[in-house]
Amino acid sequence: MPSTSLLRWQTDRMPRLAEVEAQCAASLVLVPPQPNLVEENLRGNVLLLSAHYQGFCRDLYTECAQIVVSKVRPALRLLILEQFIAHRRLDHGNPNLQNLKADYERFGFTLDLPAADPLNPARLTNLDLLNKWRNVAAHHGTIPAGIPLSLPALQGWRNSCDGLSTSLDAIMYNELRQILKRAPWVP
Amino acid sequence: MAEKKDAILFKVGDRVKIRYYRGGPGRIVELRGPLAPGGKMVYRVLVRRKPRPVYNELTDEFLELIPADS
Repeated sequence: MPSTSLLRWQTDRMPRLAEVEAQCAASLVLVPPQPNLVEENLRGNVLLLSAHYQGFCRDLYTECAQIVVSKVRPALRLLILEQFIAHRRLDHGNPNLQNLKADYERFGFTLDLPAADPLNPARLTNLDLLNKWRNVAAHHGTIPAGIPLSLPALQGWRNSCDGLSTSLDAIMYNELRQILKRAPWVP
Repeated sequence: MAEKKDAILFKVGDRVKIRYYRGGPGRIVELRGPLAPGGKMVYRVLVRRKPRPVYNELTDEFLELIPADS
């Protein structure tokens, strides 16, 4: 069993995203073609994917903080939780590597996602592309050169988020097990 | 019947007193999900404080509902 956060990502967030992708795929084969609808669907999908991945990262952070503070007396829990939550980047910022490192390194270790899995460097490149397009879609900004928005690209970005989620869950499991001297959740 | 660990005891908008906290009341602004050990529900709570409001994420053991008419 993974963390509650990863379980939710796998059993709730990913299926929801797959349903939106199916809607995008259906709009691609409409006759006559409706390119405006296709583009709006793709842009909506980008926002949802980024939001769900941010939601997972924020959930896992909260879950880990709750596990750590459960080991101290209640009066101290309140104080420590407030410190964990204060200025959390993932509350407002994109789920990019910089924000993930800024938040997760509060647990007292260096978050090295690229080294955690041979596939992670490519996944992080995809996460960067996803966040660039997320900002374009959210702010109706300038379309980034050389980064086409298509359904296959979106599916690749979703798979990358899925791989990074599993990787981050495993990193936090190992880090918390060292800190707490026991398994934080059933692996 | 035993209470479920992830039972939702508060809703968004509820005013709550926070145990072990000497400041004023807080307000539930988000149900974060069953993220605490044992699947306990976590609530995001906004507390008005100078110079700026602060947030915390707490389980029900820290929270006490303030009735709407008080």
